[in-house]
Amino acid sequence: MRILRAFTLRLLGLLGARPAADFAAELDSHVAMHTEDGIRAGLTPQEARRQALIHLGGAEQTRQAYRERGTLPILETLMQDIRFGLRMLLRNRAFTIVAVLTLAVGIGVCTTAFTWINAVLLQPLGGVTQPDRLVTLESVAPGGGWIPNSYPDFIDFRDHLKLLDGVAATKPVAFSVGMTDHADRIWGELVSGNFFAVLGVTPEQGRVFLPSEYGDAPGSFPIVVISDRYWRSHLNADPNAIGRTLRVNQHELTIVGVAPPAFHGSIPVTAFDLWIPYMQQPVLNGVSPRMLRDRHNRNMLGIARLKQGVTVDQARQELGALAGRMAVANADVSEGMSATLLPLWKSPHGPQGLLVGPLRILMGVCILVLLIVCANVANLQLARATVREKEFAARLALGASRMRLARQVLTESLLLTAAGAVLGIAATPWMTHALRYLMPPGPMQQLVSMDTRPNLTVLAFTVGLCVFAALVAGLAPALQVGRINLNARMNEGGRSGSAGRRNRLRSIFVASEVALALVALVGAGLFARGFQTTMRIDPGFDPNHVLLSQFYLNTSGYNLQQREDFCRRLAERMQSAPGVTDVAYSDGVPLGFEPSWWEELKIEGYASRPNENMNIFRNVISPGYLPLMHIPIVEGRNFTEADDERDNAPFVMIVNEAFVRRFFAGRDPIGHKVHGWGVDFRIVGVAKDSKYHYLGEPETPYFYVSFRQLYRTDMTLAFYVRTHGNPETVLTTLRAQTRALDPNVTVFDAVPLHEFIGASLYPQKIAASLMAVLGSIAVLLAAVGLYSVMAYWVAQRTQEIGVRMALGAQPRHVLRMVVLQGLSLTGAGLIAGGLLAVAMVRAVSSVSFTNSAMGAGPKLMGNGGADPLIFLAAAAFLCALAALAAYLPARRAASIDPMQALRTE
Amino acid sequence: MPEKPDVWQGTLSLMALRTLETMGPQHGYGLARRIEQTSGDLLQLNYGTLYPALLKLEQEGFIRSSWGTSENNRRAKFYELTKAGQRQLKRAAAEWQQTTAILDRFLAPIRES
Repeated sequence: MRILRAFTLRLLGLLGARPAADFAAELDSHVAMHTEDGIRAGLTPQEARRQALIHLGGAEQTRQAYRERGTLPILETLMQDIRFGLRMLLRNRAFTIVAVLTLAVGIGVCTTAFTWINAVLLQPLGGVTQPDRLVTLESVAPGGGWIPNSYPDFIDFRDHLKLLDGVAATKPVAFSVGMTDHADRIWGELVSGNFFAVLGVTPEQGRVFLPSEYGDAPGSFPIVVISDRYWRSHLNADPNAIGRTLRVNQHELTIVGVAPPAFHGSIPVTAFDLWIPYMQQPVLNGVSPRMLRDRHNRNMLGIARLKQGVTVDQARQELGALAGRMAVANADVSEGMSATLLPLWKSPHGPQGLLVGPLRILMGVCILVLLIVCANVANLQLARATVREKEFAARLALGASRMRLARQVLTESLLLTAAGAVLGIAATPWMTHALRYLMPPGPMQQLVSMDTRPNLTVLAFTVGLCVFAALVAGLAPALQVGRINLNARMNEGGRSGSAGRRNRLRSIFVASEVALALVALVGAGLFARGFQTTMRIDPGFDPNHVLLSQFYLNTSGYNLQQREDFCRRLAERMQSAPGVTDVAYSDGVPLGFEPSWWEELKIEGYASRPNENMNIFRNVISPGYLPLMHIPIVEGRNFTEADDERDNAPFVMIVNEAFVRRFFAGRDPIGHKVHGWGVDFRIVGVAKDSKYHYLGEPETPYFYVSFRQLYRTDMTLAFYVRTHGNPETVLTTLRAQTRALDPNVTVFDAVPLHEFIGASLYPQKIAASLMAVLGSIAVLLAAVGLYSVMAYWVAQRTQEIGVRMALGAQPRHVLRMVVLQGLSLTGAGLIAGGLLAVAMVRAVSSVSFTNSAMGAGPKLMGNGGADPLIFLAAAAFLCALAALAAYLPARRAASIDPMQALRTE
Repeated sequence: MPEKPDVWQGTLSLMALRTLETMGPQHGYGLARRIEQTSGDLLQLNYGTLYPALLKLEQEGFIRSSWGTSENNRRAKFYELTKAGQRQLKRAAAEWQQTTAILDRFLAPIRES
């Protein structure tokens, strides 16, 4: 307690109130009184005063001791160092600006990457209690992929798992909120009743769902909880919002609560605005309540909370056992399936599935750039240290300890990194929003939302980064200070000795910069090439000149028949529009992000093996689909208008070649019966193979069924229009025709198909772009570093060059000497960099991204990491750059007048 | 003649507190003179070292200072013991007594022989 009081007073003394004059007076009076006593004892005034001062033990020492006791000496010297450092930095503006800017880039980039990683991996959900106890619950397909759950499965999980403190389910969905003529499209989640309880969310206003609302009665809970963001933007922060009604999908729902501002939903990095009980789904989406009981209908994402003291593995085991029992009990639907628990960031459903891989690589690259920046700043500081040698020598001679000088250098280093960090942090919020551009265009991009409020974790990370950078950049110069030979410094100008050592240090730094730049270049090259290769894969259909758009007829209250009529009429109108060659519609989009549906099939004439996965992917298409996509029919026929829902029209199916190869082994499949979906189909045609989920996928069996026969209300509706020229030109016509048919229906997410396809390659594209940008920064920094070192080297050797030229050396000899020196430096760096790059390639080639549809991932770097061509090209490029960087000072060296050079000191 | 022993660390504060208790409020010079006297002139005291020690005591709240006039009509800064200082004095004195008592048991045979 006393210590704290003393400390506080000393701190205050440091900051302001200096009793210096006070103590001077006290000391004066002390000496005066002692002198008086001395005089009284018989000494002369001078002698008395002298005795008094001797007895005092030295006025200056006393004053110094008193002053030190009055403040905190450590802090005081630190403030002195800081003030001095600031003065020195401000005087050398060029150096400071370059160092601070490059540090700002390095630190800012790292901080942004960490913010993203924090939001996606470390703290994905805000506003929940104990997020580290939350896990996602995934059903596991017989093939091993993670898929969503069905409602009956969810009920079983919810009721029978002991080690989990609650299991909730959610389905992200877009709603149409508002009056019919001006409705907004708002994203929300249809959630099980216990959703908020499992997540541990306390409402800001009103309430969340009550236990009485956890029940299973469809349509009985017309309530909604809104987000804080929605409350502010659409309800104007109305204090009486609770109890008001919202018109959602043409039905009235009562607002019962407002979620806290930090809560955005149960999917990482995504912001939702509405939470509605899942039991309202049949009402809101016009879906038959029977769909809720269908175990086959898997579209719910599960999230669960671990009980206290239970590990993920224990809970996972219990879940696996339960899922095994369920698979046996419901063998008709769930045979061979299992279930597992995943940490939040590992779930493939949501943006994190696409972002995890690229983000990890991004962090590595950012650290790389930061290291290069630090090496550069260290280089700069070493260069300046030469200039300041006299100053340091003088201070040493006056009694400063080497520790003090080293601290001075480190403090200046810290000042630079702090300034860089402040600039970097200022730019971070703006750069953070760029995360949405890592997502493919379309609805996913609009959903991505980051909490940009200052985050303690990120701040702590940045401070740590600052200190780290200061140490890396300042350690070598600080250690240099400790080695100054006092005598040599004070007496002559700087040549030889420590200059040699310092030069070697700078050379090491530059070589390491070159190494890191090589790693960055190689990485960029490999990613770019992987992307190129994948882009060149033939998707099997022609996505050019096609406009893709989405309709959400369920939000406009259409029933099944109305939807089919709408599609047909719109197709007819568009077909006759100018410039349109084909029109089609379907359920799924090829190479899209929505999971593709599958059905379990029993094929006549094919005996399936016991554990064989007979779930085959399918698409529900209109007759115009295959012609529009330019997918040829190799056998049989396409669907026609005759394949419709009339009773006497048989169910028909078109399969692809892989299907034939797998199940018919060369026989003719036309006419064979296939049983699936509770119905018998007849195969009427075979279509050519194409790519369905991602460009790099292996051969996949696939089948198509007719829209009129099998479209269900819970399916999505994608509409395609092929034109002669630019597909965007037909958008206005499409909108006009849609409005003419029904003014309440909106055309959503209209985008040219080839852009949409490119979206499945997004993570690769982004990885390649990011690596390219950062690679260029790295190369630029390395070049600048190399140039500065070579320029300095030449300056050091001016006399020697002069001597050589006087003795008869030609300018080109000088040139050669300098460039060779530069190249040898680069060569050392390239060798080290080459080894590093190989290690990096090995580490990165195992990183993949998870396609949200499949749960299994294509690799981020394409196939085959170690392409020697790319290594060689990168090395050659760096060599050329190094030669250029050495050539410029070399030219200056060669043009030195020998007489001038010999005279220089 | 052997050098007068230097003041042990930490004991200067104790001496100052005790002197203030017996003498009452006193200025720095008087305190220093009195400490030297009390030690029987056996201690070598650099008067200057007293002032940082007094500042420390003041920061810890054991004494307080104020400007006043000395007996010779000279302006001087006077120091006075606070209640907390009294308590601290008692505490420190008891500790020292215990320390010397323990050491006594060890060193007694040496002294006797």
